[in-house]
Amino acid sequence: MSNTITPGLGGFGTLPTSPTEVGGSGKSSGGFGATLRTAINQVNDLSQDSQEQVTGLLQGDRQDLHNVMIAVEKADIAFQLMMQVRNKIVNAYEEVSKMQF
Amino acid sequence: MSIFSTLEISGSALAAERQRAEVVAANMANAETTHTAAGGPYRRKEVVFSSSGNMPFRMMLANFRTLGFHPIPAVRVARIVDDPTPNVMRYEPDHPDANKEGYVSYPAINPIQEMVDLMSAVRTYQLNASAVNASKQMIQQALDILK
Amino acid sequence: MNDISNPIVQMLEKFLTLASQRHTLITSNIANLDTPGYRTRDFDFRGELRRAISTEDPVMTPIARAIPGLMERPDGNNVSMDRESLLMAETQLQFNIGVQLIRNQFQQIMTAITEGSKG
Repeated sequence: MSNTITPGLGGFGTLPTSPTEVGGSGKSSGGFGATLRTAINQVNDLSQDSQEQVTGLLQGDRQDLHNVMIAVEKADIAFQLMMQVRNKIVNAYEEVSKMQF
Repeated sequence: MSIFSTLEISGSALAAERQRAEVVAANMANAETTHTAAGGPYRRKEVVFSSSGNMPFRMMLANFRTLGFHPIPAVRVARIVDDPTPNVMRYEPDHPDANKEGYVSYPAINPIQEMVDLMSAVRTYQLNASAVNASKQMIQQALDILK
Repeated sequence: MNDISNPIVQMLEKFLTLASQRHTLITSNIANLDTPGYRTRDFDFRGELRRAISTEDPVMTPIARAIPGLMERPDGNNVSMDRESLLMAETQLQFNIGVQLIRNQFQQIMTAITEGSKG
C-alpha cells in the first residue's frame, strides 16, 4: 500500500490514535514520532528524486521540463508537511508540559 | 536532446526554408544571365530537402527509451542541384553570346514558377515560426507549475 | 513509493507528458513539410492516455504511427499544413489546461497543509 496523501482524507495511511503517546520514542506502533519519521522519509525520497531530475534536466539527459517542475513542487509540499507535523508535535509537547498537577 | 529539442527541430526547418528562398531569389535574379564566370548561361538551381536524424547514437537510444519512438528527424538541405531542363534558345544574332547560328542560350527559368516556390517557402517558414512560439509558450507554462 | 500526490495528479503527469510528446511529433511533421517522401506521424492521444493510466510504468512509450487517408503530393510527402496547425493549437491548449489543473491540485494540497496549522 503506497503512502499517499489526499487533502481532507488524512495521510500516511494510519494516523496515531492514542494521545498518550505524545513525544513517544517511536518504539510503540503509531505515535507522533512515527508520523514525523514517515514525513522525514518522504521528504528525503522526494527531494532526492527532485535533485536527480533537475540534474538530468540541466545535463540534457531529459527533455520534459514539466515532470521536473512537478517533482520539485512535490518535494516542496512534503517539506511543508514535515514542518507542520514538527510544529504540531512541539506545540503538543509544550501544552502538556504546561499542565500543572 | 535538451528541453529545447522541439526548438531545434523547428529551427532546422527555418534554416532550410530560408536557404530555399535564397536559391529561388538567385534563380529569379539570374533569369536572363547568358554568361557566367564558369562559361555558359546560368543554370537553374533547386534544393533537395532531407530528413536527418542528426543526433549521436547514444542520444538516439535515450530518446527511444523516454519517447518510445524513433529519433525525431530534423530537416536540412541535402544538396543544391542544377535543373537538368535544357536551356531555352532564342534567336538573337546580334547578341555577343550568340552561337554560330545566331541563337543565345537562356536559363530555363519561369518567373511564375519561382514566385510560387517562394510563396510556398514563406508559408512553410511562417508555420515553423509559429511552432517555435508554441514550444516557447509550453516551456513557459511548465515553469509556472512552481508558481 | 513515497508520493505526495493523489490519483488526479498522477493522471495529470501522464497527460502532460503525452501532450508534450505529441507536440514534438507535430513539430517534426511541420518541419518536414517540404521533405520528399516524408509521411505524417501521430499517435492516438486518448488511447495512449488510457493505456498510461492503467499501467504503473512511469516510462511512457507512445507508439507513433503513419496516418492513413492523407493526401499525398507528387514528391511523396503527405504532411497537411492545416491538419498540423490545428493539432498544434489543440495540443498547446491541452498542455496549458494540464498545467493549470495540476497547479490547482498542488495549491489545494498546500492549503490543506498550511491551513491546518491554524487551530
